[in-house]
Amino acid sequence: MRVVHYLNQFYGGLGGEAKAGVPLETREGAVGPGRLLEQVLGEGTKVVTTLVCGDNYAVEHQAEVTASVVEKVREARADLFVAGPCFEAGRYGMAAGALCSAVRSALGVPVITGMAEENPGADLYREALYIIDSGRSAAKMRDVLIKMASLGRKLVNKVPIGLPTEEGYLRRGLIRDQFVTKTAATRLVDMLVAKVKGEAFESEMVATSFEPIPMPPAVKDLSKAKLMLVTDGGLVPKGNPDKIEGMAATRWGAYRIEGLDDLSGEDYEISHGGYDPRFVQEDPDRLVPLDAVREMEKRGMIGKLHPEFISTSGLANPLSNTRRMGKEMVEKVKQEGVDAVILTST
Amino acid sequence: MRLTLAHHPITEIQFGAPTRLDGTSLVVDPEELRALVLEDESLTSVDLEIIRPGESCRAGPVFDIIEPRAKEPGSSPDFPGILGPPLTAGMGTTHVLQGAAVTVLRERAPGGSRGPIGTVLEMSGAAAEGTKYSSLHHLVVIPRARSGLADHTVQKAYRRAGLKVSVHVARAALGRTAALTESFEPVGPAEKGREGLPRVAYVGQIFSRQRKAEVDEAIIYGANTDGMLPVLLHPDEWLDGALVPSYYSSLGGAETYFYQNHPVIMELYRRHHARELNFVGTVATIAGLDNEDRDRNCRVAGHLVKWALNADAAVLTKYGGGVPHADMAETARLLEGMGIRTAVMVSDMSRDRRVESALLFNYPEVDAIVYLGGNDTRWNAPRADRVIAGSPEMAEGLAGPIEVGALNVVGVANQQGASRLRAVIY
Repeated sequence: MRVVHYLNQFYGGLGGEAKAGVPLETREGAVGPGRLLEQVLGEGTKVVTTLVCGDNYAVEHQAEVTASVVEKVREARADLFVAGPCFEAGRYGMAAGALCSAVRSALGVPVITGMAEENPGADLYREALYIIDSGRSAAKMRDVLIKMASLGRKLVNKVPIGLPTEEGYLRRGLIRDQFVTKTAATRLVDMLVAKVKGEAFESEMVATSFEPIPMPPAVKDLSKAKLMLVTDGGLVPKGNPDKIEGMAATRWGAYRIEGLDDLSGEDYEISHGGYDPRFVQEDPDRLVPLDAVREMEKRGMIGKLHPEFISTSGLANPLSNTRRMGKEMVEKVKQEGVDAVILTST
Repeated sequence: MRLTLAHHPITEIQFGAPTRLDGTSLVVDPEELRALVLEDESLTSVDLEIIRPGESCRAGPVFDIIEPRAKEPGSSPDFPGILGPPLTAGMGTTHVLQGAAVTVLRERAPGGSRGPIGTVLEMSGAAAEGTKYSSLHHLVVIPRARSGLADHTVQKAYRRAGLKVSVHVARAALGRTAALTESFEPVGPAEKGREGLPRVAYVGQIFSRQRKAEVDEAIIYGANTDGMLPVLLHPDEWLDGALVPSYYSSLGGAETYFYQNHPVIMELYRRHHARELNFVGTVATIAGLDNEDRDRNCRVAGHLVKWALNADAAVLTKYGGGVPHADMAETARLLEGMGIRTAVMVSDMSRDRRVESALLFNYPEVDAIVYLGGNDTRWNAPRADRVIAGSPEMAEGLAGPIEVGALNVVGVANQQGASRLRAVIY
């Protein structure tokens, strides 16, 4: 197996922070931790090329460094690209993550790196890559390299990769199916019994943390505000002109309601699974309350209703879709000078 | 309340007359079954087929799978509320044709997220390995409804046809000596002799009000759950015909077979017998239609577990998709708040295979979660030698080769606890 190894200036033996501006250098054979890497990868493995670059240079000239590294890996006919381990070194971790991503996507060569969970490179690349959890201490170099070598070898040999706890990589936050011996019922009762007894148990789902969304400031004067109706209940004009999917929607639409005081079920349909749409079909105002808002508009409670409503379907939608669509909707809402939005859901 | 199951192993089903048990061979008289099914004026004809385990055979769309069981005279009734008055289920002796199944097909796929072929029974190949149903001998019932009937009338006819056939054929075991009898130790909040063991309850959803139940849809003792609050059930009522699944199910679904062989209840019984825990009872509940419905149901279910069952711990399962998922978690949160430890079973709701899109609740105390898979597993199922389709126009589509997802193969991603397909986070 032919390996190309990437190191920063410190592990490459050039020096500390003073040498962080050094451009990419190519060395033949293993350097520094690369010797240990070669040893733990075992017989038949050779670190053919070591690439060393200063941390600042790598971050400041990312495009140039990435292109050269990809080229060097190609020239070396590498079976595996290894970067680091980087422990807590942030710029090193960012460079290692970017280079691993680039090498894998450009050449299809398996890649492996190692970082501490706190490394900003881990945040950015843990979903895309296998990153061995190195911890913070470089004193664990040998243990970390053993894990990187073992997982790297599996990637090269296309052997199924085990769980983070088994292989030692940072949880990627991805999901896959797997048949197991015990039924769900047995696992459920096992888990409960362990929990009741105060014994250790491992939940099959993990807690996720989300960015808090700050409460927007209140609308100063609703009687002068331009209001817009937005729904994720899937109400669309008959024929669903934007082909909004009823589940995991990737699209949204804006539909004219000027001159209307009331929505008629004859003009609309619902593209949304998971709820009984019959009542909305009967009277779409139940989802998009045009009749009530028009009344408020006439009474002067609100300034003006925007002549379109926005609609999409909110069923089983991945955050990757909804984040994008949300941003697109916000752009439109801002462009139209809307002051306030009523969101209705199902 | 004391239920005895008299197990009669079945190693073969064949057509013949009269309907009888011939050793471990079940002989069924097709004429007799036809006459029985066609008592229902909604049905114009019925086809019957037999499938053996391991056969290269695909059948669908599946409406329901039922284990043939019949009550010994003098016991509680068969499927009370559906085949007779809604008297209490779960008493006396039930004869079980173990290894057999009555499988009812639909004439059309139910549509929605299950796609054009609906749910299929796979009897061989990789997909079949993931489901217990491939190991059973199936008597397949393919009813044909009169045209122009309302959908719910047709489905009611399917339901009754399946249950009637299964009870009828199982009656062949009446008066026969069972190979094995199984009885259950007493369960209840006031049972003595298990002091010191954790008192464990099961809270199971039996329906989700995301869809309005049909007016004549039998779910619990023949009732459609409209106006229902959570209720206490003895575990034997689940096993013995008080419950059947809704006409609508999603994300792996539920079948009558796994009410009769309820994996969670059977597991709790096993540990009850092993003196690992004290199984104190169950609550049947529904997922809410709106927030008020949710609060009512979750709180009543929680209070039954606390005040009626006096439980220390509870396992919870859901019925369907997102709303049931969130309601189950809310019930668990309330229970944890009352000092009752919980474990819940969720299905994978993430379309992009990312954990961030998977969690429909985030309660630190609801931390024991079994995670069912299904979204990520598909098979390229080969062409089947034999295809049994609910309607002739579906036969070619079913024959394959077809790509079939785990959620479309009956039993693989089952929500009653039978599934061995796990969603793994990595």
